[in-house]
Amino acid sequence: MTIPAGAPLDPPPALPSSGSVERRWGRRRRRAAAPPAWRRPLALIGVAVIAAWAVIAIFAPLIAPYNPLAQQFTILAPPSAAHWFGTDELGRDVFSRVLYGARITLPLGVILVISAMIIGSLLGGVAGYFGGWTDNALMRLADLVFAFPGIILALAIAAALGPQLRNAVIAVIVVSWPSYSRLVRSLVLSARSAQYVVASRLLGASGPRILFTDIRPNAAGPVLVLAALDIGNAVLLLSGLSFLGLGAQPPTAEWGAMVAEGTLNFNDWWVGLFPGLAILTVVLAFNFIGDALRDLLDPRTARAMRL
Amino acid sequence: MRLNRMLAAGCAVTTIVGLAACSSTSSSSSSSSSSSSGAGSSSSPAASSNLVVETSFVLKTVDPARMFEPTGLMIDHVLYDTLLTYKGSDVSTPVPDLATSYTSSADAKTYTFTLRPGVKFANGDPVTAADVVFSLMRTKNINGNPSFLMAGITATAPNPSTVVLTSSTPNTAIPAILTNPALGIVDQAKVVAAGGSDAANAATADKAEASLNMTSEGSGPYTLTSFSTTTQVVLTANPNYWGPKPAYHEIVIRNVEASVQKLDVLKGESQIAVDLSPTQAQGMTGVQIVNGASPNLFFVLTNDNPKVSKVSSNPMFQQAVRDGINYASLVQLAGKGAVQAAGIIPTMFLGSLPAGSGATYDLAKAKAELAASGVGHPTLSLVYPSDIQVNGISFGDLAARVQQDLQQVGINVQLQGQSIQVALASYRGGQEAMGLWYWGPDFPDPADYLNFLPGALVGLRAGWVKGADPALEAMGVTAASTTQSSTRETLYQQIQRSMNSSGPFMPLIQPAQILVGATSVKNLQSNALWLVDLSELG
Amino acid sequence: MSSASTTAPAVPRPRPGGRHRDLRRFLLGRLGTGLVLLVGITLVAFVVTHLVPGDPAAANLGQRAIGDPAAVAAFRHQYGLDKPVPLQYVVYLKNLLHGNLGISEQSHRPVLADLEEYVPATIELALFAIVVSLVVGISLGIVAAVFHDRWPDHVIRVVSLGGVSMPVFWVALVAFYLFFFKLGWLPGGGRLDPTQNPPTHLTGLYTVDAAVHGQWTLFWSALRHLVLPALVLAIFTVGMLTRFTRASMLEIMGNDYVRAARLKGLPEHVVVLRHVLRPALVAIITVAGVAFGNLLAGTVLVENIFSWPGVGQYAYHSAVNLDLPAIMGVSLFVALVYIVINLAVDLLYGVIDPRIRLS
Repeated sequence: MTIPAGAPLDPPPALPSSGSVERRWGRRRRRAAAPPAWRRPLALIGVAVIAAWAVIAIFAPLIAPYNPLAQQFTILAPPSAAHWFGTDELGRDVFSRVLYGARITLPLGVILVISAMIIGSLLGGVAGYFGGWTDNALMRLADLVFAFPGIILALAIAAALGPQLRNAVIAVIVVSWPSYSRLVRSLVLSARSAQYVVASRLLGASGPRILFTDIRPNAAGPVLVLAALDIGNAVLLLSGLSFLGLGAQPPTAEWGAMVAEGTLNFNDWWVGLFPGLAILTVVLAFNFIGDALRDLLDPRTARAMRL
Repeated sequence: MRLNRMLAAGCAVTTIVGLAACSSTSSSSSSSSSSSSGAGSSSSPAASSNLVVETSFVLKTVDPARMFEPTGLMIDHVLYDTLLTYKGSDVSTPVPDLATSYTSSADAKTYTFTLRPGVKFANGDPVTAADVVFSLMRTKNINGNPSFLMAGITATAPNPSTVVLTSSTPNTAIPAILTNPALGIVDQAKVVAAGGSDAANAATADKAEASLNMTSEGSGPYTLTSFSTTTQVVLTANPNYWGPKPAYHEIVIRNVEASVQKLDVLKGESQIAVDLSPTQAQGMTGVQIVNGASPNLFFVLTNDNPKVSKVSSNPMFQQAVRDGINYASLVQLAGKGAVQAAGIIPTMFLGSLPAGSGATYDLAKAKAELAASGVGHPTLSLVYPSDIQVNGISFGDLAARVQQDLQQVGINVQLQGQSIQVALASYRGGQEAMGLWYWGPDFPDPADYLNFLPGALVGLRAGWVKGADPALEAMGVTAASTTQSSTRETLYQQIQRSMNSSGPFMPLIQPAQILVGATSVKNLQSNALWLVDLSELG
Repeated sequence: MSSASTTAPAVPRPRPGGRHRDLRRFLLGRLGTGLVLLVGITLVAFVVTHLVPGDPAAANLGQRAIGDPAAVAAFRHQYGLDKPVPLQYVVYLKNLLHGNLGISEQSHRPVLADLEEYVPATIELALFAIVVSLVVGISLGIVAAVFHDRWPDHVIRVVSLGGVSMPVFWVALVAFYLFFFKLGWLPGGGRLDPTQNPPTHLTGLYTVDAAVHGQWTLFWSALRHLVLPALVLAIFTVGMLTRFTRASMLEIMGNDYVRAARLKGLPEHVVVLRHVLRPALVAIITVAGVAFGNLLAGTVLVENIFSWPGVGQYAYHSAVNLDLPAIMGVSLFVALVYIVINLAVDLLYGVIDPRIRLS
């Protein structure tokens, strides 16, 4: 995706002098008085859901009633007391598979975003700081990646490298890093001319040092917000690739692949419905959290994101 | 108020959507919401003149000389006539079509066919032996997918009503080969006028494909009205057909996913669904389900080439795999109508083994054999195509079961599903330690399965080189040159028994070929070669 | 995408040649960038597809022919696969300049012909979806902004958040099952009913063609078939547009000049539409451009379920079959759409926001 779904969503929280207050970049930015946590029920729900899934992911072997790979039950049985989510085409318990699916989606989603964030930020920081043709080259490259709608480029990469979960993750990372680059580059560009950076340069600090010690703390906020908003999209993209058969391979229990199985048997609605619901709850929860984080840490991400 | 504008916009959208959804039901059906109500003839298009068939297209062209895909076979079978054909679902004995009778020489190298008099193409031109020779040689010389059918065979026309086929080596499969729609007879005059050619350089000189994809030039019960490889193909009845008039005036063959086919036939939007798997077909009510065995054969191969894998080439290991697969559970997975493959020759062909002759699942024996092999508890990878389905079965599902079974024997199998493109490369190159593949018969004759012998096409893919089993190879040579049916049957059965006791191939199952049809469709029969004969329906 | 400056520049000085000169220069500049981008995309697509270990000859030649070295050689020669890789790329570019995109290895037809067949189907779907998304999304966003912090706002926020969180392929599955199978309200796939022939060809968009030629039965049939896939695709975009509209409008509503407009006594709807929505449109249009790209992406996931013969399915099959010419063709098409959309967006900026036009 070129802009994460969560990009500018909510206005800055109400300030005494609204809207046109100028903020200055400084060593520490003045933070707006954000509403306290209990005024943001959505964020709390989001955290609770993710925590629940994290618990499920960690304790799946203990919680799941059956082995997710065991093909011993009645094929395509509807939900019942013995199988809460019914069984699939090969006679596996869908409920157990949904629980085990969390062990793939959650960690991979987070790893994905962190990798894209690190790669993108590094490249964007370098581009913004050194300018000139490095900047041009990197931004053209980012433009190139932006030109493809995420899934098509990810599709091509995953198909080229071979249908495997690892390759799907690589594909999504390749598709996601440009947004971080752009953001960091614009932040660095604004920061570059700030007085404290000029001062550091005069004192003889080298480029990388300035990047890491002076600019990074101020850039961290917006980047983290972007990452939080991006996890949802990363999960959607990853499960989309698995849905197409280019991600997780059988017999791995992965939610996207399970929805694909559901499309083979429309009547047996339980096969595809529950894994899809799982994806929905996880992405929704991450989006709730992302929203809240954005309001808390940096309402200005809205502006920066439009570049 | 701005509210008004928004409301107005919202109303406009809802109205459009609502209108669209509720709009007239015109010529096609939008039927009842009950899922159990079948495709009653009252809600389908006028059952006596229009038929909608849905299949998941595997289609590139309907030019017979270039066509060799399942959907193409079904279509070309009713567009073009062949010298011989099959009736209904019987594919053991060819019956006359354009040729009323034939004789073969004792050495199986010369076949003489007498043509049916008075047959005309759909455009009125008479069908002559010259057209037959042109069509057969064109298929051969174009070097397309079906050209191998005419390998080593030449056709000549000593007079306008006789065709002689001469083969350089004894070829007992010629009558079966001639039933293939790729050897359908086209109108020489019209095809040449469209740029067609049967000369030796036809591969580059023939330009008639585009024209044949717009207008068919055949003598069959239907003609081509419109063609698309992605949406639908429309056929119209041929008013000049020499045989019995087909029941349906227009047939629309639509490209639809298997799972959607199921819903469509239940709701009456289509009358025949071709690609449903037994699991999808089970529990369907209000429709007729024709359940026959498919000629496709799934098998596992273990590479016999020690350079590819020391483990898979170990004979005791191969035995352990053979005895360690739970065939019954695979049959159960494939659904009702599937059978365990008794040997590599499917049940409906001459020379197939009786049921129960196949390998038996014996876990203890398999473990003992693995121990005796000396490879310990090996790990090797099983390659299979992950993105295609055959008869509704996905290779991944079968592979997962096989993996589970072999796990219990003590063999650690790593699944390596790849896209067909990539998987084919290692398969055809004979580089896979283990593979899970299928074989669809090129023609309905046991001679096709000689490809599995050492040194032959498929044998080499499993690293089975010439000289690996001299006794078996000798049997193969004899079988290829025997014309007598009963002797052939015995020979082919012997070949399979030998392959069942040792060798790198483990036949798994023959899936079921399911046809689901509306109750209004009569005489719906499943055919191993062209799926369903659209002209025989009533 | 161009960067829209969000701070007002100094008062513009009059320049010789006037506005049109700037416009021309702007367009030429974009054209140049666009061309570079197109070439870049072909390079990327070319490199990516040549990373693959598979051999196109293997899958496209059929069981028997592959064993025959002569047939393989002929195939490779016909598709230019026997030349060194960099040379293949140069040949491809040369052909491109003549309008020849190569021959697809799957369909044996020119890629251009394939695209001519599939692109209109997807464009029709995407256009319908984007129109619906714009109308519904912007309206909901306005309502949410106007009723800020009251219950309509909360409901709309949660609903739109839900919209962007749903996996589109899952929604397609559920919608198809529910509306076609269970309820029977909408047809089950395809662009028309099975026995209908497409309307007289003009654009390839069945609704437009049928309407232009007065073939109203076909028009309604095409529309009915569009509804379900387009709505499924639109869900994500509606969510995105709602959130964006709401945020942009709220941000602007906090500005002093809006308060001034209200204090002047202007009716609320004038304030909202002329003083708040118009500036917000800049951002909204940007997002709409992005949304169109997302819709194209969604088609890859959804076309299969609805038997919609469009570019999404073509892209998927080409990628999986490593049909190199087809992949390149699809990439070019996608890049072209991207460039056109961005151009349109930038031009619209100029129309809507004079500050940008003059900067």
